[in-house]
Amino acid sequence: MDRQEIMERINVIFRDVFDDDTLVIVDSTNAEDIEDWDSLEHINLIMAMEKDFDLKFNLKEVGELANVGEMADLIERKLKEK
Amino acid sequence: MNSYSYDEIEVGQKEGFSVTVTEEALTGFKAITGDVNPLHNDEDFAVKKGYKGKVGYGMLTASYLSTLAGVYLPGEKSLIQGVELKFSQPVYVGDTLDIQGEVTEKNDTFKVIKIKVAVKNQDNKKVLKGSMQIGVME
Repeated sequence: MDRQEIMERINVIFRDVFDDDTLVIVDSTNAEDIEDWDSLEHINLIMAMEKDFDLKFNLKEVGELANVGEMADLIERKLKEK
Repeated sequence: MNSYSYDEIEVGQKEGFSVTVTEEALTGFKAITGDVNPLHNDEDFAVKKGYKGKVGYGMLTASYLSTLAGVYLPGEKSLIQGVELKFSQPVYVGDTLDIQGEVTEKNDTFKVIKIKVAVKNQDNKKVLKGSMQIGVME
């Protein structure tokens, strides 16, 4: 799976979690760009990504993410390690 | 009160309890919420609308899910994060409700469980169904 495919799937997850079909995310998107992106929705996002990509993260990894691009990088790296 | 830790909980695990809906419960719910809608407070109104009596508040039935999580599954370490519900049948005063939850998912990263919930009346009819997301505190 290439990075563009990962971003497309992440976008679908974001739309589902935030219940907003118009949401378009880019590498620089972060919690300040999406009003409803609070700590609880962050948990829901990570859980949805773990399920969708069949991956496991640890708290340190997800705590260090600054934006969606870094999230995609982490997923790409984890998928390669599988 | 149960006090399951995250590690003690397994997918498929079930917990539940029963409760009878009383007139006092409806009165108490009305006092707390201020919901004076006649469907829940006026017998004649409810019958005219096609029900066999005053209809119990759906959110009163839903409130027992607080007990399900906070006392039974996982119990003491519960932190409810979200609830999704549908009310499928009316509830009446005198109904005995069976509130059941089953663990469908665990997330090790955040120590969160998802449970499928169902509330059935004494006739085994499902009056509420849904799901809950619950954090399990250390």
